[in-house]
Amino acid sequence: MDSPAANAAFAKQIDVKFPLLSDMNKKMLKDYGILKGYDVQSESYQWARRANIVIDKDGIVQHIEEDESAVNPNNALSVCVDLHKKQTAK
Amino acid sequence: MQTRRAIASFLLLAALPVSLVIPARSQNAEQVAKTTLKVGDHAPDFTLLSDQWKTVKLSDFHGKKNVFLAVYVLAFTGG
Repeated sequence: MDSPAANAAFAKQIDVKFPLLSDMNKKMLKDYGILKGYDVQSESYQWARRANIVIDKDGIVQHIEEDESAVNPNNALSVCVDLHKKQTAK
Repeated sequence: MQTRRAIASFLLLAALPVSLVIPARSQNAEQVAKTTLKVGDHAPDFTLLSDQWKTVKLSDFHGKKNVFLAVYVLAFTGG
């Protein structure tokens, strides 16, 4: 379980400069449709799929990729760069 | 480098590691949630707890920053 406390330790360990967020009640994951359920020995478990999502300043989804394709963040990063260029060119 | 500067302006790279257990009764071996979200959709607002125990809302960034969400499972499992 990745609680905010576990995330704080992880953030310190890898020295990140952005917030690490915890979806403890899984509401966001459900809303975004990236929660996956598994049954293991008659017990049910749920956890998230990997995903990269880029949302612009207006709250519009500009990019979404899931599962294996989301392991590599380069596509999402290039969407970010293009978005930034477009916005600064205005 | 322009690319680096551009990326630096995207503030929120959020890891969303997930807690594991929800007791529920289901006989399905595996259920994959459908991602209904598509490019061009309005992203649903969310409120999540940061590693600093502060609430972070997507709407906090509206009109200010683009948001890059990286959903990352079990980033810190201690094992």
